[in-house]
Amino acid sequence: MTRSRAEIEQDLPFAVNGTLSDADLAEFTALTESDEQLRAEFEAMSAIRARMQAEDARSPGEIGLARLMRDVDHDGAAPAAPNRTWIWQLAAAVAVAAFLGETLFLDGADDGGFQLAGVHHAETADLVVSFAPGATEDQIRTLLVGVNAEIVSGPSALGFYRLVVIDEGQAAIATAADALMAATSVVESVVDAQN
Amino acid sequence: MGDNPHQLIRQIADGDTRALAALYRAYERPVYRFIVSRLNDPHEAADILHDVFMDIWRGAASFEGRSQVRTWIFGIAYRKVIDMHRKRARVTVTDDVPEPADAAEGAEAGYAARQEAEHLRFCVDALKDDHRVAITLAFYEDMTVAEIAEVAGVPEGTIKSRLHHARKLLLHCLSGRIGARSPA
Repeated sequence: MTRSRAEIEQDLPFAVNGTLSDADLAEFTALTESDEQLRAEFEAMSAIRARMQAEDARSPGEIGLARLMRDVDHDGAAPAAPNRTWIWQLAAAVAVAAFLGETLFLDGADDGGFQLAGVHHAETADLVVSFAPGATEDQIRTLLVGVNAEIVSGPSALGFYRLVVIDEGQAAIATAADALMAATSVVESVVDAQN
Repeated sequence: MGDNPHQLIRQIADGDTRALAALYRAYERPVYRFIVSRLNDPHEAADILHDVFMDIWRGAASFEGRSQVRTWIFGIAYRKVIDMHRKRARVTVTDDVPEPADAAEGAEAGYAARQEAEHLRFCVDALKDDHRVAITLAFYEDMTVAEIAEVAGVPEGTIKSRLHHARKLLLHCLSGRIGARSPA
Protein backbone atom coordinates (compact mmCIF):
# COMPACT_ATOMS: atom_id res chain seq x y z
CA MET A 1 0.00 0.00 0.00
CA THR A 2 1.40 3.37 -0.98
CA ARG A 3 1.46 6.00 1.72
CA SER A 4 0.55 9.63 1.16
CA ARG A 5 3.16 12.39 1.25
CA ALA A 6 1.73 13.66 4.56
CA GLU A 7 2.04 10.23 6.14
CA ILE A 8 5.64 9.88 5.06
CA GLU A 9 6.46 13.38 6.36
CA GLN A 10 5.18 12.35 9.78
CA ASP A 11 8.01 9.82 9.93
CA LEU A 12 10.57 12.63 10.16
CA PRO A 13 11.25 12.37 13.93
CA PHE A 14 11.79 8.63 13.60
CA ALA A 15 14.09 9.09 10.62
CA VAL A 16 16.03 11.47 12.88
CA ASN A 17 16.25 9.07 15.83
CA GLY A 18 16.99 6.05 13.64
CA THR A 19 14.03 3.89 14.61
CA LEU A 20 12.28 3.67 11.23
CA SER A 21 12.07 0.34 9.43
CA ASP A 22 14.27 0.04 6.33
CA ALA A 23 11.25 0.29 4.04
CA ASP A 24 9.87 3.42 5.73
CA LEU A 25 13.31 5.01 5.82
CA ALA A 26 13.80 4.40 2.11
CA GLU A 27 10.43 6.03 1.42
CA PHE A 28 11.30 9.01 3.61
CA THR A 29 14.77 9.41 2.06
CA ALA A 30 13.30 9.35 -1.42
CA LEU A 31 10.91 12.13 -0.46
CA THR A 32 13.68 14.33 0.98
CA GLU A 33 15.57 14.05 -2.30
CA SER A 34 12.78 15.90 -4.06
CA ASP A 35 11.78 18.21 -1.21
CA GLU A 36 14.40 20.72 -0.13
CA GLN A 37 12.30 22.08 2.73
CA LEU A 38 11.73 18.65 4.22
CA ARG A 39 15.46 17.94 3.96
CA ALA A 40 16.24 21.23 5.72
CA GLU A 41 13.73 20.36 8.44
CA PHE A 42 15.31 16.94 8.83
CA GLU A 43 18.70 18.56 9.34
CA ALA A 44 17.31 21.09 11.80
CA MET A 45 15.59 18.39 13.85
CA SER A 46 18.76 16.28 13.79
CA ALA A 47 20.65 19.23 15.25
CA ILE A 48 17.94 19.70 17.89
CA ARG A 49 18.13 16.03 18.87
CA ALA A 50 21.92 16.22 19.14
CA ARG A 51 21.64 19.31 21.33
CA MET A 52 19.00 17.69 23.55
CA GLN A 53 21.10 14.58 24.01
CA ALA A 54 24.10 16.70 24.96
CA GLU A 55 22.15 18.19 27.87
CA ASP A 56 23.23 16.65 31.14
CA ALA A 57 20.53 16.51 33.80
CA ARG A 58 21.95 16.07 37.29
CA SER A 59 19.98 13.12 38.54
CA PRO A 60 19.81 12.04 42.21
CA GLY A 61 22.13 9.10 41.45
CA GLU A 62 23.49 7.15 44.42
CA ILE A 63 21.86 9.54 46.87
CA GLY A 64 18.48 8.75 45.35
CA LEU A 65 19.30 5.05 45.53
CA ALA A 66 20.13 5.35 49.23
CA ARG A 67 16.80 7.04 49.81
CA LEU A 68 15.02 4.33 47.84
CA MET A 69 16.71 1.52 49.77
CA ARG A 70 15.87 3.20 53.06
CA ASP A 71 12.20 3.52 52.14
CA VAL A 72 12.04 0.02 50.73
CA ASP A 73 13.42 -1.11 54.08
CA HIS A 74 10.67 0.87 55.83
CA ASP A 75 8.09 -0.44 53.42
CA GLY A 76 8.50 -3.86 54.96
CA ALA A 77 9.24 -7.22 53.35
CA ALA A 78 8.77 -8.02 49.69
CA PRO A 79 6.56 -6.35 47.08
CA ALA A 80 2.87 -7.08 47.02
CA ALA A 81 1.34 -9.74 44.83
CA PRO A 82 -1.97 -8.51 43.41
CA ASN A 83 -4.15 -11.16 45.06
CA ARG A 84 -2.68 -10.77 48.53
CA THR A 85 -3.19 -7.07 49.13
CA TRP A 86 -4.48 -7.42 52.67
CA ILE A 87 -1.30 -9.20 53.76
CA TRP A 88 0.82 -6.30 52.60
CA GLN A 89 -1.50 -3.74 54.09
CA LEU A 90 -0.93 -5.54 57.36
CA ALA A 91 2.81 -5.68 56.73
CA ALA A 92 2.84 -1.97 55.94
CA ALA A 93 0.98 -1.22 59.15
CA VAL A 94 3.53 -3.26 61.11
CA ALA A 95 6.38 -1.50 59.33
CA VAL A 96 4.92 1.91 60.14
CA ALA A 97 4.54 0.90 63.76
CA ALA A 98 8.14 -0.35 63.84
CA PHE A 99 9.36 2.84 62.17
CA LEU A 100 7.54 5.02 64.67
CA GLY A 101 8.98 2.97 67.52
CA GLU A 102 12.52 3.35 66.23
CA THR A 103 12.07 7.05 65.61
CA LEU A 104 11.02 7.55 69.19
CA PHE A 105 14.20 5.82 70.36
CA LEU A 106 16.49 7.89 68.17
CA ASP A 107 17.01 10.76 70.57
CA GLY A 108 20.01 10.10 72.69
CA ALA A 109 21.48 7.44 70.43
CA ASP A 110 25.23 7.45 70.88
CA ASP A 111 26.24 7.24 67.24
CA GLY A 112 27.54 10.67 66.37
CA GLY A 113 24.22 11.56 64.81
CA PHE A 114 24.50 9.57 61.64
CA GLN A 115 21.85 6.91 62.14
CA LEU A 116 18.68 7.38 60.14
CA ALA A 117 15.36 6.53 61.68
CA GLY A 118 14.36 2.98 60.86
CA VAL A 119 17.72 1.91 59.50
CA HIS A 120 19.16 -1.20 61.09
CA HIS A 121 22.72 -0.18 60.41
CA ALA A 122 24.36 -2.86 62.49
CA GLU A 123 22.66 -5.52 60.38
CA THR A 124 22.91 -3.96 56.95
CA ALA A 125 25.98 -1.75 56.72
CA ASP A 126 29.60 -2.83 56.37
CA LEU A 127 31.34 0.53 56.05
CA VAL A 128 30.69 4.16 56.91
CA VAL A 129 32.21 6.71 54.54
CA SER A 130 32.24 10.41 53.87
CA PHE A 131 32.83 11.76 50.40
CA ALA A 132 35.12 14.62 49.42
CA PRO A 133 33.22 17.89 48.99
CA GLY A 134 34.24 18.14 45.33
CA ALA A 135 33.38 14.54 44.44
CA THR A 136 30.82 14.33 41.69
CA GLU A 137 27.93 11.89 41.60
CA ASP A 138 29.57 10.24 38.57
CA GLN A 139 32.82 9.67 40.45
CA ILE A 140 30.95 8.25 43.46
CA ARG A 141 28.84 5.98 41.29
CA THR A 142 31.87 4.67 39.36
CA LEU A 143 33.84 4.07 42.54
CA LEU A 144 31.01 2.22 44.28
CA VAL A 145 30.30 0.05 41.26
CA GLY A 146 34.04 -0.68 41.04
CA VAL A 147 34.27 -1.90 44.63
CA ASN A 148 30.89 -3.66 44.42
CA ALA A 149 29.34 -1.62 47.21
CA GLU A 150 25.99 0.12 47.60
CA ILE A 151 24.83 3.00 49.75
CA VAL A 152 22.14 1.79 52.13
CA SER A 153 21.55 5.01 54.04
CA GLY A 154 22.70 8.58 54.36
CA PRO A 155 23.70 11.23 54.33
CA SER A 156 23.58 11.73 58.07
CA ALA A 157 23.62 15.15 59.65
CA LEU A 158 27.42 14.88 59.61
CA GLY A 159 27.54 13.77 55.98
CA PHE A 160 28.23 10.06 56.52
CA TYR A 161 26.93 7.31 54.23
CA ARG A 162 26.52 3.68 55.22
CA LEU A 163 27.60 1.12 52.63
CA VAL A 164 27.05 -2.55 52.18
CA VAL A 165 29.65 -4.60 50.30
CA ILE A 166 27.86 -6.98 47.99
CA ASP A 167 30.46 -9.75 48.09
CA GLU A 168 30.22 -11.53 51.42
CA GLY A 169 33.01 -11.98 53.94
CA GLN A 170 35.45 -9.83 55.87
CA ALA A 171 38.08 -10.15 53.16
CA ALA A 172 35.73 -8.55 50.61
CA ILE A 173 34.89 -5.75 53.05
CA ALA A 174 38.59 -5.13 53.74
CA THR A 175 39.37 -5.07 50.01
CA ALA A 176 36.55 -2.61 49.38
CA ALA A 177 37.68 -0.44 52.29
CA ASP A 178 41.24 -0.34 50.93
CA ALA A 179 40.00 0.63 47.47
CA LEU A 180 37.79 3.36 48.91
CA MET A 181 40.63 4.76 51.05
CA ALA A 182 42.88 4.80 47.99
CA ALA A 183 40.39 6.99 46.11
CA THR A 184 41.42 10.10 47.99
CA SER A 185 39.89 12.52 45.50
CA VAL A 186 36.45 10.98 46.06
CA VAL A 187 36.44 9.57 49.60
CA GLU A 188 37.43 11.48 52.70
CA SER A 189 37.06 8.79 55.35
CA VAL A 190 36.25 5.10 55.66
CA VAL A 191 35.29 3.35 58.89
CA ASP A 192 34.25 -0.24 59.52
CA ALA A 193 30.57 -0.06 60.50
CA GLN A 194 30.88 -3.03 62.81
CA ASN A 195 33.45 -1.27 65.05
CA MET B 1 22.11 -11.62 39.31
CA GLY B 2 21.06 -11.20 35.70
CA ASP B 3 20.95 -7.75 34.13
CA ASN B 4 18.14 -8.63 31.75
CA PRO B 5 15.36 -6.14 32.65
CA HIS B 6 12.62 -8.78 32.66
CA GLN B 7 14.74 -10.98 34.88
CA LEU B 8 15.39 -8.03 37.22
CA ILE B 9 11.66 -7.40 37.52
CA ARG B 10 11.06 -11.05 38.42
CA GLN B 11 13.76 -10.82 41.08
CA ILE B 12 12.27 -7.60 42.43
CA ALA B 13 8.90 -9.34 42.62
CA ASP B 14 10.62 -11.91 44.83
CA GLY B 15 11.82 -9.13 47.13
CA ASP B 16 15.40 -8.80 45.84
CA THR B 17 16.56 -5.28 46.72
CA ARG B 18 19.82 -5.73 44.82
CA ALA B 19 17.83 -6.30 41.64
CA LEU B 20 15.93 -3.10 42.44
CA ALA B 21 19.25 -1.26 42.83
CA ALA B 22 20.46 -2.66 39.50
CA LEU B 23 17.24 -1.58 37.77
CA TYR B 24 17.51 1.86 39.39
CA ARG B 25 21.07 2.28 38.14
CA ALA B 26 20.03 1.26 34.64
CA TYR B 27 17.04 3.59 34.33
CA GLU B 28 17.41 6.34 36.91
CA ARG B 29 19.05 8.92 34.64
CA PRO B 30 16.76 8.69 31.59
CA VAL B 31 13.62 8.50 33.73
CA TYR B 32 14.75 11.49 35.80
CA ARG B 33 15.51 13.46 32.65
CA PHE B 34 12.07 12.62 31.29
CA ILE B 35 10.39 13.74 34.52
CA VAL B 36 12.39 16.92 34.96
CA SER B 37 11.75 17.89 31.34
CA ARG B 38 8.04 17.95 32.18
CA LEU B 39 8.22 19.62 35.59
CA ASN B 40 11.19 21.98 35.52
CA ASP B 41 11.66 21.40 39.21
CA PRO B 42 14.58 19.13 40.13
CA HIS B 43 13.35 18.56 43.69
CA GLU B 44 9.86 17.53 42.63
CA ALA B 45 11.38 15.46 39.84
CA ALA B 46 13.59 13.63 42.35
CA ASP B 47 10.53 12.92 44.51
CA ILE B 48 8.60 11.54 41.56
CA LEU B 49 11.57 9.44 40.47
CA HIS B 50 11.62 7.99 43.98
CA ASP B 51 7.88 7.29 43.82
CA VAL B 52 8.30 5.58 40.44
CA PHE B 53 10.83 3.13 41.85
CA MET B 54 8.76 2.58 44.97
CA ASP B 55 5.86 1.68 42.65
CA ILE B 56 8.14 -0.70 40.78
CA TRP B 57 9.15 -2.30 44.07
CA ARG B 58 5.55 -2.68 45.16
CA GLY B 59 4.12 -3.58 41.77
CA ALA B 60 6.79 -5.77 40.17
CA ALA B 61 4.64 -8.84 40.79
CA SER B 62 1.90 -7.38 38.62
CA PHE B 63 4.22 -6.81 35.63
CA GLU B 64 3.09 -9.38 33.10
CA GLY B 65 5.96 -9.01 30.67
CA ARG B 66 3.77 -8.16 27.71
CA SER B 67 5.49 -4.81 27.26
CA GLN B 68 9.11 -3.79 27.46
CA VAL B 69 10.37 -2.94 30.93
CA ARG B 70 11.51 0.47 29.67
CA THR B 71 8.09 1.48 28.38
CA TRP B 72 6.46 0.14 31.56
CA ILE B 73 8.73 2.31 33.72
CA PHE B 74 8.30 5.39 31.55
CA GLY B 75 4.54 4.79 31.59
CA ILE B 76 4.56 4.90 35.39
CA ALA B 77 6.59 8.11 35.30
CA TYR B 78 4.29 9.58 32.66
CA ARG B 79 1.19 9.02 34.79
CA LYS B 80 2.82 10.30 37.96
CA VAL B 81 3.69 13.59 36.30
CA ILE B 82 0.12 13.90 35.04
CA ASP B 83 -1.08 13.36 38.62
CA MET B 84 1.33 16.05 39.77
CA HIS B 85 0.03 18.46 37.15
CA ARG B 86 -3.52 17.76 38.27
CA LYS B 87 -2.62 18.39 41.89
CA ARG B 88 -0.97 21.63 41.01
CA ALA B 89 -3.91 22.55 38.78
CA ARG B 90 -1.18 24.00 36.72
CA VAL B 91 -2.13 26.33 33.90
CA THR B 92 -1.53 24.55 30.61
CA VAL B 93 1.19 26.07 28.56
CA THR B 94 -0.17 27.47 25.35
CA ASP B 95 1.03 26.95 21.83
CA ASP B 96 1.69 30.66 21.43
CA VAL B 97 5.17 31.50 20.36
CA PRO B 98 6.89 32.94 23.43
CA GLU B 99 8.27 36.43 23.43
CA PRO B 100 12.02 36.48 23.08
CA ALA B 101 13.69 37.53 26.30
CA ASP B 102 16.10 40.41 26.34
CA ALA B 103 19.75 39.46 26.12
CA ALA B 104 21.96 42.44 26.11
CA GLU B 105 24.98 40.85 27.71
CA GLY B 106 27.21 38.23 26.24
CA ALA B 107 30.03 38.02 23.73
CA GLU B 108 32.41 35.77 25.68
CA ALA B 109 33.58 32.46 24.20
CA GLY B 110 30.92 29.77 24.24
CA TYR B 111 28.18 32.29 24.67
CA ALA B 112 26.53 31.40 21.37
CA ALA B 113 26.43 27.68 22.18
CA ARG B 114 25.00 28.32 25.63
CA GLN B 115 22.43 30.67 24.18
CA GLU B 116 21.46 28.06 21.62
CA ALA B 117 20.94 25.48 24.36
CA GLU B 118 18.97 28.00 26.37
CA HIS B 119 16.74 28.80 23.39
CA LEU B 120 16.07 25.13 22.87
CA ARG B 121 15.26 24.54 26.54
CA PHE B 122 12.96 27.55 26.51
CA CYS B 123 11.12 26.38 23.38
CA VAL B 124 10.79 22.77 24.59
CA ASP B 125 9.46 24.03 27.92
CA ALA B 126 6.94 26.20 26.10
CA LEU B 127 5.33 23.19 24.42
CA LYS B 128 2.17 21.65 25.81
CA ASP B 129 2.85 18.62 27.96
CA ASP B 130 1.59 16.12 25.36
CA HIS B 131 3.89 17.61 22.75
CA ARG B 132 6.82 17.78 25.15
CA VAL B 133 6.38 14.14 26.12
CA ALA B 134 6.45 13.05 22.50
CA ILE B 135 9.52 15.13 21.65
CA THR B 136 11.36 14.10 24.80
CA LEU B 137 10.79 10.38 24.27
CA ALA B 138 11.62 10.59 20.57
CA PHE B 139 14.77 12.69 20.89
CA TYR B 140 16.13 12.05 24.38
CA GLU B 141 15.25 8.38 24.54
CA ASP B 142 15.16 7.51 20.82
CA MET B 143 11.96 5.53 21.28
CA THR B 144 9.97 4.11 18.39
CA VAL B 145 6.50 5.46 17.67
CA ALA B 146 5.02 2.24 19.12
CA GLU B 147 6.97 2.67 22.36
CA ILE B 148 5.93 6.31 22.79
CA ALA B 149 2.31 5.35 22.09
CA GLU B 150 2.51 2.68 24.78
CA VAL B 151 4.00 5.06 27.35
CA ALA B 152 1.34 7.70 26.69
CA GLY B 153 -1.48 5.18 26.25
CA VAL B 154 -2.65 6.59 22.91
CA PRO B 155 -2.66 5.31 19.30
CA GLU B 156 0.47 5.64 17.17
CA GLY B 157 -1.30 8.06 14.85
CA THR B 158 -1.88 10.42 17.77
CA ILE B 159 1.83 10.38 18.60
CA LYS B 160 2.77 11.12 14.99
CA SER B 161 0.30 13.98 14.93
CA ARG B 162 1.61 15.39 18.23
CA LEU B 163 5.18 15.17 16.97
CA HIS B 164 4.21 16.88 13.73
CA HIS B 165 2.73 19.83 15.66
CA ALA B 166 5.54 19.82 18.21
CA ARG B 167 8.28 20.06 15.62
CA LYS B 168 6.53 22.88 13.76
CA LEU B 169 6.07 24.81 17.02
CA LEU B 170 9.63 24.12 18.06
CA LEU B 171 11.09 25.35 14.80
CA HIS B 172 8.79 28.38 14.82
CA CYS B 173 9.78 29.23 18.38
CA LEU B 174 13.50 28.75 17.71
CA SER B 175 13.48 30.80 14.54
CA GLY B 176 11.61 33.55 16.39
CA ARG B 177 14.09 33.66 19.25
CA ILE B 178 17.25 33.25 17.22
CA GLY B 179 16.01 35.61 14.53
CA ALA B 180 15.12 38.21 17.14
CA ARG B 181 18.72 38.25 18.37
CA SER B 182 20.51 38.18 15.05
CA PRO B 183 22.18 41.38 13.98
CA ALA B 184 20.26 43.29 11.33
